[in-house]
Amino acid sequence: MLPNNEVRVPRPRFVAQSAPRDITAEFTKAASKLNAGQLVKDETFTLFEAVGALEIMDSKMDSGYIAPGENLAQALEDDYDVRRPLTPEEVVGLMDQLLCHEVAWHKGHPLSQTLFTSIYLDKLLWPVPRTMDDARFDRVPSDSPLVNLVLRAYCLALVKACDFVHIRVATEYYYEEEDFVSQLYNRNLLSAFDVSQFHRLLDQAVAWVAEQTDIDQKLKDAIRCRLVFRHEFLSALHQDVEVLETRSVENFASCIAQLQPLTETVALGKPVPDAFSLKIQRKLASTVPPRPMVKITSGDALAHLKRLCQDAIDMQQMLDYTGPSNFKTAVWTLLSRKPQPSIYIRCLLQALIVSNMTILGAVPVKEFLHDELAELVLPANILLQANTDEVEVPSDPRFQIAQKMDGFMKRFAQPFVDTVRCACLNRCRMRRTLCHTLVDWDNLQMEAEDIDLELRTLSAEPPLQFQGGEPTWSFPLSSWAYHQKLVQFRLILQMGFELSIYSPEELPGMYWYLSHICSTHLGHIDRIRTFTVAARKRDLMSTGDRAGTSSQKASAFHRSFHALERLTTHIIAVDAFAIALHALYVVLARHNVLPSASSSQAYSTDRLRYEIRMKPFIPITLPELVPYEEYQREAALEGDSDAAILERASKAIAEARKAWEATLANGAFIDDPSAPTQPPPSAIEEDWKRDVKNTMRSCIGTSLAVEAVKKALSTASTEDKPLNLEVIVPEVGSKSRWHDWWVVPQVSEKKAKE
Amino acid sequence: MDHDQSVQYLEGLLGRTLRIHTTDTRMFVGLFKCTDADRNIILANSFEYRMPTTSAVQAAAHEKESWSEAKSATVKVNMTHRLIGLIVIPGRHITKIELE
Repeated sequence: MLPNNEVRVPRPRFVAQSAPRDITAEFTKAASKLNAGQLVKDETFTLFEAVGALEIMDSKMDSGYIAPGENLAQALEDDYDVRRPLTPEEVVGLMDQLLCHEVAWHKGHPLSQTLFTSIYLDKLLWPVPRTMDDARFDRVPSDSPLVNLVLRAYCLALVKACDFVHIRVATEYYYEEEDFVSQLYNRNLLSAFDVSQFHRLLDQAVAWVAEQTDIDQKLKDAIRCRLVFRHEFLSALHQDVEVLETRSVENFASCIAQLQPLTETVALGKPVPDAFSLKIQRKLASTVPPRPMVKITSGDALAHLKRLCQDAIDMQQMLDYTGPSNFKTAVWTLLSRKPQPSIYIRCLLQALIVSNMTILGAVPVKEFLHDELAELVLPANILLQANTDEVEVPSDPRFQIAQKMDGFMKRFAQPFVDTVRCACLNRCRMRRTLCHTLVDWDNLQMEAEDIDLELRTLSAEPPLQFQGGEPTWSFPLSSWAYHQKLVQFRLILQMGFELSIYSPEELPGMYWYLSHICSTHLGHIDRIRTFTVAARKRDLMSTGDRAGTSSQKASAFHRSFHALERLTTHIIAVDAFAIALHALYVVLARHNVLPSASSSQAYSTDRLRYEIRMKPFIPITLPELVPYEEYQREAALEGDSDAAILERASKAIAEARKAWEATLANGAFIDDPSAPTQPPPSAIEEDWKRDVKNTMRSCIGTSLAVEAVKKALSTASTEDKPLNLEVIVPEVGSKSRWHDWWVVPQVSEKKAKE
Repeated sequence: MDHDQSVQYLEGLLGRTLRIHTTDTRMFVGLFKCTDADRNIILANSFEYRMPTTSAVQAAAHEKESWSEAKSATVKVNMTHRLIGLIVIPGRHITKIELE
C-alpha cells in the first residue's frame, strides 16, 4: 500500500470530458457470469494491496459515510456559528484547546485528528485563501473584534507556525506516522504569506486588547500572553537554520517567559467543545479511515512546548565547532535527553549538523574527517599533510598520497557524518540503523585496508617488529574504521538495554558480550597507540633542529595521546562495569533467583536467543562472531565457584567506580588549551555529567547487590538451603533504574511468608 | 454473453476510469482494478464527489446575485470532491456505473 504522501495522481479531469457512457447493464450482466470467487483483476494488482482498500459505505472505513436518516447538510456542516460573539473566557479556552491540538500534532498525531477538527481553522483554510484578507472565518466577518481580530490573528499565526514546522520536518529524515504525519489533506498552511503579515495582525490584536476597558484585567493579561507567545514562537520558528548566523536564543527564551503566565491562566479559560468536530474529516482528502479526535491535556502540551524551547536554546551551545570529539559528544548528549527532543528539534539539528556537505554551516565534512583522523590515528602525519597544491609533480609520492587521501575522504566523509547524524532518529530507529550501517562499515574497513596498503608504499612507512613476530604496519585508515565499528557494536548493545530488548535471562550473556567487545576495543586502541608512539619516536629523531614545526608536531601528538587516553579510560569504565554485572547475574542465574520472561515450556532456547541477538553481527568479518559453544562457556563462567565469581564482581565494580570517576574528571569536552578562558559549563555539559553520575550511582547499587548476594550465599551454605533472595530487574524509567544502559538488579532478602 | 466473453469484456475495462454512483448519491471516480461475481469494485486513486450542500448552493446563489443584476433561474455549483485513494465499493451499494 502506498503511504498517503505517495499517492501521485493527476488532478481530476472531471470537467472537460466527453460524455461518459452508462455501462451499468453490461457490467452487471458480465459480472454475474463470473464464477463464485473468481476475480477479474489488473495483472499488477495484488490481493495484498486490495486489503488496504477502504470499504465504501462502511462506517468504520469510509470517512465520507453518512448514516441513513442523517441529514446531509448537518452531516457535512456543523451548526456551529463562527460569527457568534465569544466571551474573553471562551477565547482563552479556545486558544488553549488549539494549542493542545498543535502540540498533539508535534507529537506525531495527524492534523485530521488534531488541528483540522477545529471549525475555525477549517473556515480559514477552505476554500484556499488567495490573500490574507481571504483567510477569515466567514464571508461576512463577525461583529466581535474578539473573534474577527484576536482569535483570527491567533489562529492564523498558529497555522503559520505549523507551516514552518512542517517545512523543516518534511525536508529532513524522519519516519512518517512514527515520528510525524506530514499529510496536509489537500489543505495549505498559508505558506504563501509572509511572516510579517502575521506579526502585524498579532500586534493589532495585542493593541486592541490593551485598549479594552470592559474586560477583566486578568483575562486581558491571559489573552495578551497567548498572543505574545504566538508572536515569539512564530519568530523563533522563522529563524530556523538562520540560528547559525544570528546565534540568537531571544525568541525561544521569550516563549519560555510567556509559558509561565500562560500556564497560570489556563484555569481562566472556558473550553468550547462545539468548535471542534470530526465531521470535517468527511471533507479532507484522506486515504485512511475516520479516526477519533486526539486529546492531550494542557499540562502535557505546555510541558512539551517548554522542553522544545529549552532544547532549542541549549542547542546553541553546540554550534561552535571545537573538534570532532567535542562535537560528537554534544550532539549525542543533547539527543539522548529524556524525553527525547521533539521531532522539530531533531530535524532542525539534522540540518545544522550537516547541510551542503558542511558541518554547522562552517566546517566542510572533509575537514571534519581530517580532524578526526588527526585526533585518533594520524597526528602530524604526512598522509594528512600532503596536498596537491604544494606538490604539483605527479611522480612525487606526496602528490600521489594527496590524491589517494582525497579519494578516501570523498568516500568516507558522508558515512562518517551519518554516524553522528544518526542520533537524530528516534531511539528505536537509531539502533536499527546502526545494525544496518555496521555492515557498511565492515565493507568500508576493507576498502580502507586496500588504501592503507597503497599508501604504505608511497609513504615508505617503516614496519614495527614485535618480539619474534612478522613485521607489522600501522594500517591507520582501516584501524580508524575498525574503531568506528567497535563504537557502533557497543552502542547497539547498550541501546538494547535502553530499549528493553533483552529479557532478564539474557542479561548475564549480554553483559558478557559487552565486556567482550570492550576488551577487543581496548586491545585495538593499544595497537593504535603503539604505532603513534613509534611514529613520535621516529619524528623526534629525524627533526631535532627545526623548532617551529617540532612544537606544532609535539602538540599534535599530545592531542592524539590525550584523546586515546580519554577513550581508554571511558572504555575501561564500561568494561569493568559490564564484567561486574555479568558476574553478578551469573550467580543469580545459577541459583535460579533471576526472574525469567519465558515460561519453562517456551519454544525459545538459549541457543536460539543467542542467534537472534547476534543477527546484526553475523555478517561482520571483524570482530569475529563468538561461536555459541564458546559464548556459553564464557558467559556462564563454567568451572568457577560462586565465591570466586562474586570476588571477581567486587573487584570489577571497584575498578569501574574508579574509572567512571576518572571519566567524570576528564570532563565531557576536550578543552582548547589555546583558549584564554574556559567557557562556563553548559547545559549540555551538565547533562553529560548527570549521565556519568547516574552511572556511578548504578555502580554503587551493583556493589550493594553483590554484598547482599555474598551474605545470602554464606547463610545458605551454612544452612544448606536455597538462596533466600528476591531479585527485581527494574524497568527502564522506573526510579530504581538509575541508568538506562545499566540494568542493576535489586536484590533483597525474601520476607518470610506468614 | 457467455462466461469467457464476460471475462474478456471486464478485462477490457481494467485500468480505465469508471464513475460509480452509490445509493447515498455520492459518486466515485477512479481507475478500475478489480471486480468479482458480486459486482464488488475496486478503484485506485479515486476521488469522492458529493452533491453540494444546500448552504453552499445558497451561498453561490447569493454570490451570483451580487455579481449580476439579471437574475437567472439556474446557478452552477461544482460538486465537492476529495482524494480518497484505493477503495472497494460493495456491489449492493452501486446504483450506476459509467465509463469515461
